[in-house]
Amino acid sequence: MTAAGRFVGWTVRRAALAALLVTVYPPHRLYAQDSQFGVRGLGTPGRYESVRARSTGGAFAPFDPLSLLTEAPLADIPVLTATAMEAASYRDVDVGGTTSTLRNTRFPLLNVGGRVGPRLALAAGFTTYLDKSWDVSERDSAVLRGALQRYTDELSSDGSVADLRLAAASRLTRRIAIGAGIHLLSGSTRQTATRRFDDTTFHTVQQVAEVTYSGLGFSGSILIGVARGLSLSGWARSDNRLRAKVADTTSALTDLPRGFGGGVLIAPSPSVKIGGSFAWRSWSRTGPGSFDTWSWAGGAEIGSGRMPVRFGVRGGQLPFGPGTQAPTEFAAAAGTGRTFAQGRASMDLGLERLERRGTGLTERVWTVLLGITVRP
Amino acid sequence: MIRRRLVLLGAAVIAAACVEDLTTPGVCPDYCPSNQITIADTVLTNSISRDSAFRGYVLANQAGALLATFDSGVVEGRPIFRVNGLGSRARISGSDTTTGPILGADSSRLHLFITRYDTTARNLTLRFFRLPITIDSTTTFASVAGPFTDSLVKRVNVDSLLALPGRKNSVTGDSVVSVDTVNHQIVLSLKFDSAAARYVPNDSGTVAFGIRLSADAPTSLQIANGLIQGAALQWYIRVDSLSVPVARTPISLVAPFQSFVVDPAPPPIDSTLAVGGVPSARSILRVTLPRFLRDSSLIIRGTLVLVPAVPASGAPSDSFVVEAHTVVADLGAKSPIAVDATRTDTTIIHIGATDTVRIEVTNLLQFWAADSLQPTSLVLRAKYEATSLAEVRFYPSKAAAFRPTLAVTFVRRYPFGAR
Repeated sequence: MTAAGRFVGWTVRRAALAALLVTVYPPHRLYAQDSQFGVRGLGTPGRYESVRARSTGGAFAPFDPLSLLTEAPLADIPVLTATAMEAASYRDVDVGGTTSTLRNTRFPLLNVGGRVGPRLALAAGFTTYLDKSWDVSERDSAVLRGALQRYTDELSSDGSVADLRLAAASRLTRRIAIGAGIHLLSGSTRQTATRRFDDTTFHTVQQVAEVTYSGLGFSGSILIGVARGLSLSGWARSDNRLRAKVADTTSALTDLPRGFGGGVLIAPSPSVKIGGSFAWRSWSRTGPGSFDTWSWAGGAEIGSGRMPVRFGVRGGQLPFGPGTQAPTEFAAAAGTGRTFAQGRASMDLGLERLERRGTGLTERVWTVLLGITVRP
Repeated sequence: MIRRRLVLLGAAVIAAACVEDLTTPGVCPDYCPSNQITIADTVLTNSISRDSAFRGYVLANQAGALLATFDSGVVEGRPIFRVNGLGSRARISGSDTTTGPILGADSSRLHLFITRYDTTARNLTLRFFRLPITIDSTTTFASVAGPFTDSLVKRVNVDSLLALPGRKNSVTGDSVVSVDTVNHQIVLSLKFDSAAARYVPNDSGTVAFGIRLSADAPTSLQIANGLIQGAALQWYIRVDSLSVPVARTPISLVAPFQSFVVDPAPPPIDSTLAVGGVPSARSILRVTLPRFLRDSSLIIRGTLVLVPAVPASGAPSDSFVVEAHTVVADLGAKSPIAVDATRTDTTIIHIGATDTVRIEVTNLLQFWAADSLQPTSLVLRAKYEATSLAEVRFYPSKAAAFRPTLAVTFVRRYPFGAR
């Protein structure tokens, strides 16, 4: 065996091991990218996109069988396929004239799908529905026993709500494929509330709780091949309510959004694909301080075979923020991929630059994306 | 080619390596959680009841130190101690067991460990009196008043001794063994001649001494008590060896009985809550914690507020530490106290003070809130019981206007999970 052959074998083995490790991770350890905009709201919504789709700004997500946004593309999945991704974010938060540099690493997506019959494909996986990891530190004071006492509050949450999706898809005709999915929302956060007084006569108080979340959602999607090299996709989703429990007692019951979206994919040649997508979600149902959101994306993949180049942009609104207008975001992404072992394994790399803006707060994020796909 | 792949793979792994740093300064309320930590203050005026005081926990001879005070007749403490003798005979030689009658002592040397003294006192003088060897724990100030008047055997001016070169008086034979200027401790080695320390074989050589303290101004000091650091006497005796007196130096003898007598005696326990004094007094207070504090709050500060019924009494320039303890079980006067530092709170009380006393009892309240099975009684006692004449008396719960109260600052349960 040549050195190159050994390297390919090593890569496939490591890719399979990585996929296994990510698979056995408990769902509440899976996170998307955090945002300070989610602190006051329910959290930061996940993106449902594989590294490939996200490298195109999300434009390819409605057509990507390994993303968890739609189900219909699963109908075209050729063999059993598993994918997982990791995202490392480096975030600058500029708020109130102060800039904080934050970092985190997340494992936001895992998906396994395959064909179980001539016209039926199934998939199971999970992604982040809401990221609820944040840590806020605040200085304040209060009059206690007739004297002004200064203190530092630290409120933190560590965890997320995962979206466990069971999906089925079928190609009805040569041009039409449909799919449906059931979404089990499950997760937990470890929350702490700490107050430290400058005057140590007042003892530091730290309260800790494990909050568990549960919910249910349904989705459906359709993929239409309009003409050779032109596809349209549409999807809709409805989630019921998110139940938060502390020590088996329901502490909150929050209506979750409904949403719909679609996309178009144009492939003028086998080595060029151009796509666009949009989505709407009714996040305002979740309560005060939340907004319905529109989002859009456009991107392309150039080059076929072993190492394509991908790029794209996306923009839209964020569901939570102060004031009367939803915060906005804009991102540009690029990436590539590489297949190994005669196409049985692939590794995708992506880089995303994101900017979010809201009243008095700007976030700028670099995110490194790493995805591994295995077709055993 | 392979190297390039490895470099690319390594760079990807490094870039995506696990990192976590999520803490940001909060800009509230816009970018903070909608729920905040809620804090509240309350004064529990009726939560303390069934309080009472008891005396006799630590007697003077059981104290960790002997107290000598000089207050121009206002209050006076006099250490007393007895050193049992060698008997009527002693070994003539170290190499055999033959003994001979003890003819007497040429001299003796007393080692005294002063564990605390007032560095501002001038002409700090110790006067030693020979006492009856029958002194014991029932000995009172009055019962030894006579010997303390007419049996002076030695006088030592500690200030003068400290000022001498080498801290040694070659005339009297007295010396300072060591001085700890940080902790204000002195070890004295004092020579008693044969007249000051008579070895009486009929008494088996047992001697008893009392110490009076004097200075230019009221002051006090403490002398170590106990078998390790307590007063010790080294005899230099003469033993009859076939009608030939020979000098012998037997082992040093530690005083097995050490105590001190006080005048005036502490007033009897009344309805007030007494703490301190000799013998030591303790007060027990029963606390009823409201349910909202026990069940749904976190106590971050608790202060026991006590109003002195009379000015704190004791030796001048003294202060003493009062401790508040939880009890393991509430058995009234015999309640065993928990001496665990995490369940003990303290405050310092100065002699003559009439100010309201505040003892931080946060540890105790937190302990009670965490374990609802614990008896919610607390005991007030002096930190070093019976080593100080200091005593304070507080108004009890029956005195409605001045009763003990609890000031509590607490945090309500944070509404975790709420939107």
